Parts: sequence; C-alpha cells; structure tokens
Amino acid sequence: MKRSSFTAPLYLAGVFTLAGIAGAAAQTTADLNKDQNTPGDVLVYGMGPHGQRYSPLTRINKDNVKRLVPKWSYSMSDSNGAEAFPLVANGMIYTTNHISTVAVDALTGKQVWKVTHDYPPEILRIVCCGIVNRGAAIYEGKIIRSTLDNHLIAMDAKTGKVVWNVQSPGISAETGYSMTGAPLVADGVAVVGVAGAEFGIRGFLEGFDAATGKHLWRQYTVPAAGEPGHETWAGDSFKVGGGSSWVTGSYDPELDLVFWGIGNPAPWNPRGRKGDNLFTNSVFAVRPKTGERVWYYQTSPEDPFDYDAVQTPVVATIKVENKPRKVVMQANRNGFLYVLDAANGKLLAANAYDKMNWADGVDMKTGRPNTTESFKKALAGENVTIWPSVTGSTNWQHMAYSPKNGNLFINVIHVGMTYQAPEPPKNLAMGKPTGNGTVKRTTVYDDPNVLGFLKAVDPMTGKAKWSVPYKSPNFSSTMVTASDLVFTGVMTGEFQALDAKTGKLLWSFQTPSGIVGQPITWEKDGKQYVTIMSGIGGVYAMRSGDPNLVNVPTGASLWTFGLFDK
Amino acid sequence: MKIFPALTSLALGAFISTSAAADDAAMIEAGAETFSTYCATCHGNNLESSGQTFDLRKLRASERGRFQNSVTKGKNQMPPWQGVLSEDEIESVWRYIRANAYEK
Ligand code: HEC
Repeated sequence: MKRSSFTAPLYLAGVFTLAGIAGAAAQTTADLNKDQNTPGDVLVYGMGPHGQRYSPLTRINKDNVKRLVPKWSYSMSDSNGAEAFPLVANGMIYTTNHISTVAVDALTGKQVWKVTHDYPPEILRIVCCGIVNRGAAIYEGKIIRSTLDNHLIAMDAKTGKVVWNVQSPGISAETGYSMTGAPLVADGVAVVGVAGAEFGIRGFLEGFDAATGKHLWRQYTVPAAGEPGHETWAGDSFKVGGGSSWVTGSYDPELDLVFWGIGNPAPWNPRGRKGDNLFTNSVFAVRPKTGERVWYYQTSPEDPFDYDAVQTPVVATIKVENKPRKVVMQANRNGFLYVLDAANGKLLAANAYDKMNWADGVDMKTGRPNTTESFKKALAGENVTIWPSVTGSTNWQHMAYSPKNGNLFINVIHVGMTYQAPEPPKNLAMGKPTGNGTVKRTTVYDDPNVLGFLKAVDPMTGKAKWSVPYKSPNFSSTMVTASDLVFTGVMTGEFQALDAKTGKLLWSFQTPSGIVGQPITWEKDGKQYVTIMSGIGGVYAMRSGDPNLVNVPTGASLWTFGLFDK
Repeated sequence: MKIFPALTSLALGAFISTSAAADDAAMIEAGAETFSTYCATCHGNNLESSGQTFDLRKLRASERGRFQNSVTKGKNQMPPWQGVLSEDEIESVWRYIRANAYEK
C-alpha cells in the first residue's frame, strides 16, 4: 500500500521525536506569530497569521519594478491548477500540488527534495473545483500538508522524510470528503478544513497537534439532532447539509482566535432544506487548542446560489467611527464586503463591492441580508436572473490589505446567471453529487470582454478607489507591499505589478501558462524577490468554457523574480 | 476510422440492445443531466471547454469504444466511473456529446 514505509506506529513515534528535537529551534509559534514583520521568510499562509498578504519590503518599488526579471523557474511536472501558497524558510521554497510536495533552493531554483503522494483515482469523482492543493504549513522543522484523500502529512523540512502521516478520522471519499486547503498552524495546532459541500458531506473544521499529528478536536458546521441550530433545517435535510471549510483561515494570537469561513449548504437546490441552514455560509471564530466556537456570523441564510462564506477573513486594526478597532474583513462570494469586530463578531459594515441583485443591503441590527423579490422567486422555483453567479463576486482567490494605504485589493468576478431550482432532488446521500446538477442555470454577462476587475476597495464603504477591468476574471490572489505595489496574476499567464494608489500597470511578465496562484515576496542578503506559481486550472478554467482561455497552455511551474543585476 | 471494427460493433451492439426503444431526444436530455451532475466540473458547463481538460466535443462518431474505455476505466486525472454510472447513463452522455460534437 502507499506510504507503507511510514505507517508502522513504533517507527513513526521514533522519527517524530528525533525530528522534533532537531527542528525545535525553528518556526516556533512565536516565529509564526510575527511572520509579517520578518520578510526574510514566509512561514504562514497569507504572509502572516492575519492573512493580509502585505509586505513591509520596499526595495522593489515603482521606480525600479520595470527591471524585475525572472531569476529561475522550476517545473512541477504536472498539468493541473497551480494554486499553492509557497513558503520560504531555511533558504528554501516549499510548495505543493495535488500529488507532490517540493523543496527548491530559494536562490537557484534547484530541487532539494520532492515527495509524491499517490491517491486512489476514485477520489477524483468527488473533486468539485479543480485537481489542486493550496499549499503547506511549516512548524518546528516540519512541512505539513493535506491530501485529496484526507490525509495530513508532516515531512522533515530539510530532507522531505515523512515524519507522520495521519488520516482524518472516520471520513472518506465514499462519503464525499476531500482536502485541498493549506493547514493553518495556530498555537501549535494544525487547523484543517474539508471540501465536499457539492457531495453532501456534513462539514467540519478540525485540529491536529502540529508536532505529533494527534487529532485534537472537530467542530461540525451542521448541527446534529438536539444541537443548537438543528431547527434551521427542514426534516432530515441536515444529513447531507454541506458546510465545507475548504479555504484556509487566519489567526489573531492576541485574541487567540482562529477565523475561518464556512461553505455552502447542500444541495445547491434550496427547496428541500427550508430554514436558515445554520452554520453554513458563516464566519467562525474558534479557539485553536479546543475548537470551541467563540462566535459566528452567518452571511447568507437559506442560500440557493452556492454563496460560500469561505474567503479568508483578513484581520486588521482599522478606524471605525474614528477609533482603532481590531476587525476581520471578508469580501464574500455573495457580493458584500463584511467588517466584523474580531473579538465578538459584531457587524460593523456590510456593503456591496460589485453588482448584485439578490439582496438590497444588510440589516445592521440583525445582520441579515435584505433579500429581494428575485431571491424569493429563486426559492420558489421560478426562473430568475441573479448577480453574482454561483461562482461568486469572489471565489477562493485571496485579497490583500495594505495597512499603509488602508485599501483592500480584490480580484472581483463580474458574471451573473439565469437560475432555476426545479423540484428538489430526491435520494440524496453523502458522497452523491449535490451541486451543479441540482439547479438549472446559464451564464450572463454585462460586457463579454469584461468578466472581472481588480479593485482597490475601502473596507468600511465597499467603494472602489480604482478599478481595472480584465477580459477573464483573475483567480490569482493579490499581494501588496509597503512600496505601494500590488502584484497579481492573470488567467492568460501575465504576472503583473500595479500602482496601489492608481491601479496603473507598471510591469508585466508572460509566464508559460495561466496564473491561478498566490504571489509572495521575501528578501535574502539585501535583495528582494517575488515568487508565484503559474499553471492554469481550478474551478473557473475547467467549468466556465471562457472563450478567452481557449488554448491557454497547461503546465505548472514555480517562478522567482528579482531586480536585474547589472 | 475502421481500425477496430470488432470493438466498435461490440460497443454499438451493447447499447442498441439496451436502449433501442428510448426516444433520442429524451436520451440526450437525460445525458445532459448526467453530464451536468458528474462531468461538468472538469469538462465545462454544457460541454463548453476551453481545452485545458479534454474537450469532449472533439470525440468522433467512430470513438464510442474509446469513450466507453476511458469513462469506465479512467485515464490519468480522469476518474473511473465503473460502478457509479450505469450502461444506460454512459450511453445517454455519449448521445448528448454526439449531439453537440464538432464533427457530426
Ligand atoms: C476530476 C475531473 C474529471 C471529471 C469529474 C471527469 N473527467 Fe473526463 N477527463 C478528465 C481529464 C483530466 C481528462 C484527460 C485525461 C488525459 O488524457 O490525461 C479527461 C478525459 C476524458 C475523456 C477522453 C479520454 C481519452 O480517451 O483520451 C473522456 C471520454 C472523458 N474524460 C469523459 C468524461 C465523462 C463522461 C465524465 C463524467 C461522467 C468525466 N469525464 C468526468 C477529468 C475529469
């Protein structure tokens, strides 16, 4: 069987004790917590536990960005989507895809190690949104990642040797579960989410001891009989209720809270699950050590449109009514930009940041959306035109926040749909499809040449300071630096730097495939570098049939750029 | 085109006997639904693919055997569907694809 050499418990125990000692000096909880301020390494998904994707580095700036050139590129030997967040530590860059984890020399791009994680092909029957993995976590000398078949694997960061390999208890592909997200290590706990709301799972978030792989807790997102919130599901509908947790969250060490977005209810067709369907489409704040849910905020009750609330909640201290306040911000798939008090989840702002017609604002007292006639008709099974589409105004691609200029940089999807929910599906079961096939829809555009924007958005108003149109929506994440450069990638392969103040395009480099990756920046020996993966794939590229993407080559690679040395 | 006549006629024989009575339009409609449920996530809404994953509209009338083989056994990142889809369902998806193929 696969991974057989690392499954004997005795041997495994021996290995992780040794590795634990050897790596104890590096990537401690304290190191992870201050990651944003130590640009010599990139240790946490989102470039720091707050997920701001902001770097204090300024060596690459508006004046010299034109001299940014590739230093090296590395082939992933794969043609699926390259969505991973690369990590930088020990002079190496670590990245992942669906089938492998690699370490390459950060300055030369030469491969140091590569581990392949085979999985049974049947698992791909329940992969809704691309054959991908979004990256690893690093903790005390170990690289930790999830796999499509629900394993969590820790490898020695120096050698790649598997230190532990555990399976998420009691779940399987047969019941619809898979894992594509990067773990988030908070206070020594590897927090992991699951995908599968398109296959009737009962979603959850769970925590493993990041040193040993021991399973510590599981927090279900759909309440069982007798639990609070259960009454928000008609009949037995909760049994296949969805509520996945497939996009990595963020962490605030001071409050000791992990913030995590929860996915859509299942099936997409809402007519058999009347009620709010708690706790789908919610933002959770949980204690990393125990999984205790300290607060939640539901964004889209009784959702017919696959409006996951999975966008990574970004933590920042911003001015609210002229007073600094620690908040979490989420550019939700449903088109609202939410600002919540990080300590208690209180709603502080909720404004549309792109075209929408399913709701007309949010009630600031109850926190509920003011749903429109179109929304009510959709629930009743009528054919309606809805903005945004099931893909959302955002999807999983992450926004960046600059504490320096106060704006969020959001890659927005500008696509609508006609929508109809026919008679609700019968014979639903865990592991059986509960997504696309349960509703009827077609795609609607304003202008076929503008399906996306990169916007600089004010968190409290949702208003765009500037907005740059794109022919296809960007599924790349954004990153912003203290020198006011915004980096992002384009589906047709361009890696770009824009002026954070104006949106002006300052630099562009054509990579060999489309970009759906996550840019990062780091420094070594007085020089600043920018790293991103290229490799088209993921939900939009596979499902949309966007004519602009016809013949965009596949092929995943990892790229590092630096200023041209004379 | 006629490289594997034995295989092709075998596959044809199999579906004609199980579905000869089925109304073609209803079959295509059923195929569209099966496709939307199981295949669209990788092969595109309504078969509209930008080509990063195999564009099923490229399949030719003579490739029923190839279709059967790939769909039941899988191929690289194409999962196997044996045991999930019935022969009738596979046939309906084939008819739906053929109805929308580039080369009729
Ligand atoms: C998880 C993604 C995924 C799903 C779901 C999927 N496919 Fe595929 N399919 C692929 C990939 C990837 C290929 C290309 C395989 C290769 O040549 O490497 C492919 C190729 C094919 C081919 C061509 C194989 C050949 O002979 O070259 C056929 C036919 C096909 N798929 C049919 C289907 C049908 C019918 C369904 C639904 C029942 C389906 N696929 C569902 C990913 C998928």
